[in-house]
Amino acid sequence: MSEAAAPDMIVVIDDDYAMRLSCRKILSKMGLRVEAFENGASGLEGVAELKPSLVVVDLKMPGISGLEVISRVHGIDPQIIMVVITGYATIDTAVEAMKSGAYDFLPKPFSPDELRMIINRGLDRRRLAIESQRGEVERALLKRRFVTFVSHQLRTPLVAIHQYLDVLKHLDQTKDDPVRRQEWIERCLKRTEELQKLISDWLTLARVEGGTLVNERVEVDLKQIIPGILASYEAMAAAEQVSLEAVWPEEALCVSGDRNCLNVLFDNLITNAIKYNKPGGKATVTGCLSGGEVTIAVADTGVGIPEQYQPFLFDEFFRIKAEGIKRTEGTGLGLHISKKIVSEMGGSIEVESQAGIGSTFRVRLPAWRAPAENTKMGSCE
Amino acid sequence: MSVKVLLIDDDQDFRVSVRSLLEARGYEVLEAGSGHEGLRQVLEHKPDVILLDVMMETSVEGYGVTHALKYLDEYAEHSHVPIFMVSSVEESPDERFPMSAEVEMIRPDGYLTKPLDIPRFLQLLEKVVGGAGRVP
Repeated sequence: MSEAAAPDMIVVIDDDYAMRLSCRKILSKMGLRVEAFENGASGLEGVAELKPSLVVVDLKMPGISGLEVISRVHGIDPQIIMVVITGYATIDTAVEAMKSGAYDFLPKPFSPDELRMIINRGLDRRRLAIESQRGEVERALLKRRFVTFVSHQLRTPLVAIHQYLDVLKHLDQTKDDPVRRQEWIERCLKRTEELQKLISDWLTLARVEGGTLVNERVEVDLKQIIPGILASYEAMAAAEQVSLEAVWPEEALCVSGDRNCLNVLFDNLITNAIKYNKPGGKATVTGCLSGGEVTIAVADTGVGIPEQYQPFLFDEFFRIKAEGIKRTEGTGLGLHISKKIVSEMGGSIEVESQAGIGSTFRVRLPAWRAPAENTKMGSCE
Repeated sequence: MSVKVLLIDDDQDFRVSVRSLLEARGYEVLEAGSGHEGLRQVLEHKPDVILLDVMMETSVEGYGVTHALKYLDEYAEHSHVPIFMVSSVEESPDERFPMSAEVEMIRPDGYLTKPLDIPRFLQLLEKVVGGAGRVP
């Protein structure tokens, strides 16, 4: 944090007085802090004390050589950027210096512009290095938080169930209320189901990610399997007062994929279209084949997804919690799993949604292509 | 007058069961499903003790509530109200905000893990409110 606030510190180590003076002048004008030293020994002390961002060092000095300075500076802090100043005669040594960890070199004589350019480049480089290191730390932290988050997700329903049972145990038996007892049992069952669903979704996800679920590639006609899924949700749709519809083309809609995965995928999309609908609404599945691609659109006439949430829709555990949006039960994994399945099969999924009007999820999958020896083109049996 | 306990937790089932438990012991129970709603209830109903979930809509929402209650002028009148934080994941603010010098500003009066250890929880509550909650 403090690094961002204070200007960068530059240490110049050169036995030439004029060089120290001009470097100091040019660099201070750039808004940098500068300290100059006339030999390697005092320069190294300065580096240890000042913790500079960048060190400019002359290769040819009496006493400790420039090369030695480079390796000792990196011993103090490997993130300090080293820029080497050298006469033309010592270009070979400069190359040597680069090999030993100097970032760049500047042949004498150089113009102020050349010095400015090389210093700016060096400082940019340092910032990048520091940022990427911070990135790694952050990623590790995120991972740890993710574990915390998942255990929280799993424990929440378990805690609710436990708490109901424990309170029932502690409540005075003579004041037992049978209606309340029944209600609580219902809630415990609901939360148990939630937990089951969460675990099974989690497992599905792990299998998709591990590649064990999508390894089967067979010819599957979506026109055959989707009506089956729709049929299994008729009761749920009726309870939500949502009508189900399917629009199919003449031809078969064959893709190459894993039957179970495709079932999970369309099951997710269809239940969403029912759950996030409105009474009197419609959920429509439309299929088509064109350009070697099968497109299945699952559309609802529900509340829609506000635009600001759309980019996160396929993220793990993402759930919209906003005023005016009804809270439905769900694990927050369905769409994430769906996206993984589609990508594993070489396809894509996208959403189009308008708040208050509805959402359409469009899945595109490569159409089944018969192996060369199989001459039955376009048929799916 | 009975002692008022405010439950701030986004899990309705948790609130339902704890409410029954506390009401059976003579406490008056207020409920809030979010940190925001909880703060509103504090101003409106002036609870005597608060039971606060750590991870609600955001994973640090609970800490936002302790901070507001202890340090914002708006809630100055309620800054003394004891806050007990509950979470199913054992993690203290020192762990979550390892670098933060302001960690003191979000520290509650005590931590409890979910599911609640009922006898311990009731004992703690009685200690905090001086047994005043009991209505025979």
